[in-house]
Amino acid sequence: MESFPLANADAVVARARSGDPEALEQIFRAFQTPVYNLARRICRTVEDAEDVLQETFLEVAKSIRRYRGDGSLWAWVRTIASNKALMRLRRNKYRDTDELHDEVMPTRREDRHLRMDLEAALERLPETSRAVVWLHDVEGYTHSEIGAMMGKSVSFSKSQLARAHVRLRGWLGEEATA
Amino acid sequence: MTHLTMQQLLDVREPASSPGSQSARRHLEACQTCQAELERLHQRTAQLKALPTLRVPRDLWPEIRSEVVVYRRRRIAAWGGVGGLALAASVALFLVLGARTVAAPEEESSRAIGTAMAQSQMLETALGRYRPERRVTDGRTATVVAGLETRIAEVDRQLQVAGMMRQRVRDEALLSLWRQRVGLMDALVNVHLTHATNAGL
Repeated sequence: MESFPLANADAVVARARSGDPEALEQIFRAFQTPVYNLARRICRTVEDAEDVLQETFLEVAKSIRRYRGDGSLWAWVRTIASNKALMRLRRNKYRDTDELHDEVMPTRREDRHLRMDLEAALERLPETSRAVVWLHDVEGYTHSEIGAMMGKSVSFSKSQLARAHVRLRGWLGEEATA
Repeated sequence: MTHLTMQQLLDVREPASSPGSQSARRHLEACQTCQAELERLHQRTAQLKALPTLRVPRDLWPEIRSEVVVYRRRRIAAWGGVGGLALAASVALFLVLGARTVAAPEEESSRAIGTAMAQSQMLETALGRYRPERRVTDGRTATVVAGLETRIAEVDRQLQVAGMMRQRVRDEALLSLWRQRVGLMDALVNVHLTHATNAGL
């Protein structure tokens, strides 16, 4: 998901900065799908993803004056969305079962023979690992950027990604035979 | 033969490789198992990128738009509060220092703007106490409210633009806009009050 078309982006941003609601709506219409996809892949529920979408564009409306135009508009919106999604993960942490997944999942006997498709396997990953996989492998963030967004180290991001890929490989039945 | 770990394979993929990835690369050149593992990793990443696009289940723009309107109204109201205080302070200073002189037109318009700002803020506070966003509203009232809120948002936008004008022009524009805002806020409060009365709230 590299970029998304927004005709006359500079003019639209200028109008949005002056408070034009139609310009804000144009930005929303251009980016709602990629933002929702990012949020939905990171968050556990549709409701959480919808909340992230709403919070992202409210933040865009509040901060559009601070957007300097030195990067692409999508990169700016995406960073806001990623931060909002990660904030939601932290907020939901009390009911997060990452710890449980980490301990229980690799030892479950039926997993050895379980094959699932990639979408189901991704869904099954613990939230933090899933977020790292999505932000790194799909959105193209570096480990250093992910670490900064999560308030963790680079090596945390790297080890989450490695563990996630080991699990995905197992669930997808792709384990090496040699 | 010890094969590369997932972490080492991932490091090899990174543009800025760690020192350890040099030996991992050497191993990779000679090991078909690890080459196949790296290829599967590439494939998996490509498949992740190619997952189907999920559609947003419903149109969220109306909700976001009304939140933006509420946020802007609060900001303008806060601005009115600060501006009103500043104007009150300057009026007090004027009364202390220059009570004998006749008020200049700029001071008159500043006072009038201050009055309009205070009225607007008073209506905003009244509306805030009523908390319309938490009440059930019928379709007709909601349409009237949405229309008034759109017009208030437009006045707020013009107020921001007017803030950047030269003083003389700015004062005239500000006065006119703040008076329009008071009228619209008054209408908005009345719509909510009428609805509350009819609904027996």
